[in-house]
Amino acid sequence: MSAARLEGRLHPLAVLVLARRMIGASLIPVLALLLSLGTRILVPLVLAVVLVGVPLAVAWWWRFTYRVSESRLEVRSGLINRTTRVVPLDRVRGVDLTAPFLHRLLGLVKVEIEAAAGGGDKAELSLAAVSRRDAEALRERLLSRTDAETIEEEAPTLYRATPGLLAVGGLTSGRYLLATAAVVGVLGNLADNLPGDVVARATDTVADRAPTNASGIVAAVVAAVLAVLLFAVAGSLLVDWGFVLRSEGERLTAERGLLTRRTVSIDLERIRGLDLRDTPLRRPFRLTSVHAVAGGVRRAGGRTTLVPVIRAEGVYALLRAVDPLAPDPAAPLAGHPKAARTRRFVRAVSLPALAAAIALALAAWPAAVLALLLTAGLAVIALDRYRQLGHRFDGRRLTVREGSLMRRWTELDPEEIVSFELRRTPTQRRAGLATLVLHLGEGAGERRVLDAGAEQTRALLAELDPRLLAPLVEPR
Amino acid sequence: MSVILRQPAEALDLRMRTVWVVQGAITTAVLGLGVIVAVVVLVVADASTAAWIVGAAGAVAVIASAVVMVWLLPIHDHRYFRYEVTELGLYVARGWLWRRWQVVPHARIETVDIRSGPLLRAFGLVAVQVATAAAGGGTGIPGLDPSVADALVEELSRRAGVEEERA
Repeated sequence: MSAARLEGRLHPLAVLVLARRMIGASLIPVLALLLSLGTRILVPLVLAVVLVGVPLAVAWWWRFTYRVSESRLEVRSGLINRTTRVVPLDRVRGVDLTAPFLHRLLGLVKVEIEAAAGGGDKAELSLAAVSRRDAEALRERLLSRTDAETIEEEAPTLYRATPGLLAVGGLTSGRYLLATAAVVGVLGNLADNLPGDVVARATDTVADRAPTNASGIVAAVVAAVLAVLLFAVAGSLLVDWGFVLRSEGERLTAERGLLTRRTVSIDLERIRGLDLRDTPLRRPFRLTSVHAVAGGVRRAGGRTTLVPVIRAEGVYALLRAVDPLAPDPAAPLAGHPKAARTRRFVRAVSLPALAAAIALALAAWPAAVLALLLTAGLAVIALDRYRQLGHRFDGRRLTVREGSLMRRWTELDPEEIVSFELRRTPTQRRAGLATLVLHLGEGAGERRVLDAGAEQTRALLAELDPRLLAPLVEPR
Repeated sequence: MSVILRQPAEALDLRMRTVWVVQGAITTAVLGLGVIVAVVVLVVADASTAAWIVGAAGAVAVIASAVVMVWLLPIHDHRYFRYEVTELGLYVARGWLWRRWQVVPHARIETVDIRSGPLLRAFGLVAVQVATAAAGGGTGIPGLDPSVADALVEELSRRAGVEEERA
């Protein structure tokens, strides 16, 4: 580590990265355009780009310097307007290392430094490309506020994803199953940019060969389903390949990705609680994912994901490693009163049922069938949503659970709650129900105890904060 | 109808009800004006059937708005809005049909603002706004006499300070 630099310029090869960035973020439409123009225009254009873009990149590289001193990080940049940004080290909130494909080919890493500005807004600094060793050293230096004491001992691994688990995870994840639609959308967009009538001819060819007999159609459907499943597996593997979660003392660090390798870290002190999320597809396999409920952290890039997919057996140990007081996810929760089931049901079903009734009255049969199917589907989901509702307070951690298609189990420390809000609609008051909303703050959002009984809510409030809330609870 | 939390002690200044009545009246007047303009335009354009329909629907809307915004809401919003500074937090209850009870611990209060728009000023009132680190976690008291508001802000900051020292 002695040779790693904490000051100076970016890696010389960064010029390539910068040049690529300057020449164009969306190379493909440009290429498509160029192809249709012919060499007479193409050659001068490429020359111009190279003659202007590359020197610009070199100049930019030359003028960009960074330095980590005793207490602060300084970054100087800009060709004509020189900017110097100074970030005190104790303001650094996170350091992310990302290696997109080109970076990986060149052995470089992009460093993104997140800092809390005075007003609580986020300021961000980015070093476009440095060598991996420099990046690691930089990250270590920026994040270790206690100066080099905690370093060097091997960080214990809390979780490591196996490809098999990730594949199953992709197959059972709503997000990756839906990803196919996104891919098709992007391809469609690209196709629009292709020159000439390539797309039209391709469509015609496909249409001509479209199967008309039953077995052909079945084969086509099976192929389509297989493609969707394949994409789901590929997506999961691509994003989360080699996912490793490590505990580095005051923070957790997650590394992931096949082509683009990302390292993100999250301070333990920013974690207010832990979420377990699963879908109906994952529940039969007893698989779940673990997320941090964290404040003051950018949402993007799945940085609060602690584990993309894990078997239920291992979850408790993992939760305990992050939060020693975490309750067992297998522990039963207090269910909510039957009135909550009625409310879930009525809210889910009344609109589609009304639509079905109208369609039946108008004798619009296809619409009626559709509306009835929708009603039935939503009724099943509503009943499951009720079954999943529950909460529990063990004196130190509050557990709440809700949701069906996206079920979320949350454990959190009541000390972290910024404010408490009790809501009751006219229906809830008539049914003796209430919703308790717990605001967590700084982007951590809120969690709620949905449709708990009045008596349950009274008891929960008094237990959650005996000094603040118990005096406000109406005596029985 | 089982009660969960007790009512906070303090009510809003009675003048706030008048402010809401005036606000409702302004909204209703704007709505009424819009309906009149629409009807006149339709009459000029010689679309008398449409003018009748718009006029009738508009009249219903204006009457409904008058009943709800000028009469019911001000009375009930005022009646159901209550607040109290307890030892450890600010406790605010509000809402007539959709009821909300909010408790913000003093230690979590980040800023306390006193605001007054032209309408509030005309009635000699101010609003107190309390913000926390959570976007939805803040609360506010819409209409207080300035002297009451000053005392409230004073007390909130004092208790927040005490709470911080203890922590």
